[in-house]
Amino acid sequence: MNKTVEYGIIFFSWISGVILIGTIGGLLFFLLYKAVPSINIPLIFGKIRPIDALLLRKEVLDGLFPAISGTLLLVSASIIWAVPLGISAGVYMAEYSSPKQKICFNLLLDILAGIPSIVVGLFGFTLAIILHKYLSERICPSFLISSIALSALILPYIVRATEQSIESTPFSIKTTCILLGGSKLQNIIHVLIPYNISGIISGIILAAGRCAEDTAVIMLTGVVAMAGLPSSIFSGYEALPFYIFYISSNFSSQEELATGFGASIILLILCAFLFTIAFIIKQKVATRFAGHT
Amino acid sequence: MQPFTEKCVEKGLLLSTILSGSITLCILFFMVIFSLPLFEGGQIDQFIRLEWNPYEGDFGILPMMVGTGLIAFLALVIAVPFGLGCSALISVFAHGNFSSLLRKIVELMTGIPTVIYGFAALFLLVPMIREIFQRGTGMCILSASIMLAILILPTIILFMSDALNSVPKSYLDAADALGATSAQKLIYVMIPSAWSGMISGLILATGRVVGDTLIALMIAGNAIQVPKSLSDSGRTLTSHIALIIASDYESLEFKSIFLCGLILFIYTTLTVFGLRLFRYLKIIGDR
Amino acid sequence: MMKPGLILSLFATLIFLLIGFSLATAYEYSSGLDHFSGKKGIIKIAGGTAHIPVMKEAARKIMRMNPDISITIAGGGSGVGIKQVGEGLVDIGNSGRKATDDEIRRYGLKMFKFAIDGIAVILNPENPYVKMNSQQLMDIFSGKINSWETMGWEKRGINVYTRDASSGTRKIFWKKALNKANITKTANFIQSNGAMKSAISLDPYGIGYISAGHIDRTVTAVSLNGVAPSIDNVRKGSYKIARGLYMNTRGEPEGLTKLFIDYILSREGQEIAGAKGFIPIK
Repeated sequence: MNKTVEYGIIFFSWISGVILIGTIGGLLFFLLYKAVPSINIPLIFGKIRPIDALLLRKEVLDGLFPAISGTLLLVSASIIWAVPLGISAGVYMAEYSSPKQKICFNLLLDILAGIPSIVVGLFGFTLAIILHKYLSERICPSFLISSIALSALILPYIVRATEQSIESTPFSIKTTCILLGGSKLQNIIHVLIPYNISGIISGIILAAGRCAEDTAVIMLTGVVAMAGLPSSIFSGYEALPFYIFYISSNFSSQEELATGFGASIILLILCAFLFTIAFIIKQKVATRFAGHT
Repeated sequence: MQPFTEKCVEKGLLLSTILSGSITLCILFFMVIFSLPLFEGGQIDQFIRLEWNPYEGDFGILPMMVGTGLIAFLALVIAVPFGLGCSALISVFAHGNFSSLLRKIVELMTGIPTVIYGFAALFLLVPMIREIFQRGTGMCILSASIMLAILILPTIILFMSDALNSVPKSYLDAADALGATSAQKLIYVMIPSAWSGMISGLILATGRVVGDTLIALMIAGNAIQVPKSLSDSGRTLTSHIALIIASDYESLEFKSIFLCGLILFIYTTLTVFGLRLFRYLKIIGDR
Repeated sequence: MMKPGLILSLFATLIFLLIGFSLATAYEYSSGLDHFSGKKGIIKIAGGTAHIPVMKEAARKIMRMNPDISITIAGGGSGVGIKQVGEGLVDIGNSGRKATDDEIRRYGLKMFKFAIDGIAVILNPENPYVKMNSQQLMDIFSGKINSWETMGWEKRGINVYTRDASSGTRKIFWKKALNKANITKTANFIQSNGAMKSAISLDPYGIGYISAGHIDRTVTAVSLNGVAPSIDNVRKGSYKIARGLYMNTRGEPEGLTKLFIDYILSREGQEIAGAKGFIPIK
């Protein structure tokens, strides 16, 4: 390989890095620049005083507060559905499953992890229609259906995080409890889960980030353009990513478009926040492993 | 603890696992059941056609399949070279703190929501493409491919970087001992050793590109045609589902989106199987 | 010094005016939002995107006045509105076209027309071509004329934008303005009236169609066959491409739904419709 080719490769690598950073930086600066005119308290709370809105005394009808709360509530609900199921499945896969079962379930969960989110949304929509027809007239695309569909979307993440952390527990830690005469279950409850709690939590937080940013699933399962705060789990609701999507094509003035940029910044901050926390927790796990065999 | 409680808990956990696994089967079940009428009526060939005009009974989804394929292919063509370059930068050419800083930035990028890429692209990329090509609306398969490439670039970089980092140190030491420069080490030692990990990452990234809905929905134009040039508008299977979901759900038109869902599901399954086969063959080959 | 009698009569007139004024405003209030006070519940609305500005404004007024009432509004197009109200998924399904006899029979729909709306062809403000005749329109949308050069402008392709299949706006436009001619396959699909307006305002070489009530300074409306799609022309009937905006319910509306429909059809509601660019029914 002659010198020119070599320098060419090095140059190309550096240029790629520069282009990458430049593109993302440019994107973010563009968003910030466009959002600046609209970032103020009325962006979120409209004409209502923040205290009244937060204490639920008055409805905010022209700010982002319903969308932000909708997203936060949705993430919480999906986590509530997915975490017990996910952790149980992860524990089973790591500790109790036979090799055959492992192959089978791993396959199913990998497929679930890879399914496009719109197909999961389609599943949720169909589920809603079927339940509506055969179970109860009250069930229709709504907060409840969206949270169930989203929990199906994030389940693989939680199962994998639990399974992988438990399986990579150092041998000495894994076997101490058994050697002291404890049962498998005691081992799990008193040793394995507490030891791996940070790995599991970081997996949960990553899943929460995935929930917050998803648009395709909620579009098909109940998010609407205007709803205020969700009045019940059977009602429609607003969400931040859908607001951004909706505004991008339906803005009737530059001010409205600016709110879309403002919403983008808020969503970015939310996702960055969740991501950073997961990252910090993962770092704690890494330093802990450094001390063990 | 009593053995009975233990057994109970174990069965309970098994139940959770079965429930989790059955979600996948449920989705498959729904897709098949709802697109079954299409197969039974012998109308399946009607769907592998080019014409989509519900008012006249044409439900060909071939344009959408071509759209998905073209956009995915283009996105990969754009993303892979830059992904290779960046991962080489992180793992080989840059050093110490700068390298880990770059890697942290890339990891942060994986968390950026898709809708924000679409939103920014609509007001930044689309007018640019329109001016450069001097035709079309700017909402075309090229714009969608560029944004998708940016979307999956962090994932590709991380995978490739991990693969490059997992080259056995003995190989690197041997290359150093022979007096190889960084670039020579990269091309002659690291990439050949790590290429299976890179291919795995690529297959997963392709899956992500095929499954993305929002970017194609917002900036590919959604015309029902087979795109004949880069600046033509096109539609993907995923955005087709999002667009048609709003119509009458007794009609054949609606049932066609279940066929789209089925195709996407089959594609995902093939991807997962393909990856496993690939890894298995690699292990066999190594022996 | 004025006579005491004069002062007294002036004072009395003032009192009368004050009483009359407060009675008048009180009357206005009670014919509108007062009916909603003390009520609780949810109203679910979906369907036509042309209706959304009116629905949103009415919902805001009602929810501001009575926070116990919650109104959710979704889009989706006329087809979605009719389908969802028919299946019981929403309380009011909006449509920008009359429901077909088949739909009425299948779901037992009751229709309530609350405004008339024109459908206008729109162009980007940079485009100088604001006059067209029907034949040119049909040729442009079918793709026969595909360059602005033919129309005398720059040598750039014509970017046709159309609506999705569920849209009532699209159905009426196709029927009345295009005489059921084909729409070119290269057309970009847009999902709502608002989105169509945004798309055209961002593309100098685009052409599309929207509800006349949505027209603002970001797009230019085209005069067809010499008639501009102004509110007067639609009202007079000289601009023929128009349709009614309907609220549909499954069976007779009851409770909050009935109150909402009455509100839209009341003077206040009709004022909102007028303010948003539509022609009130009453």
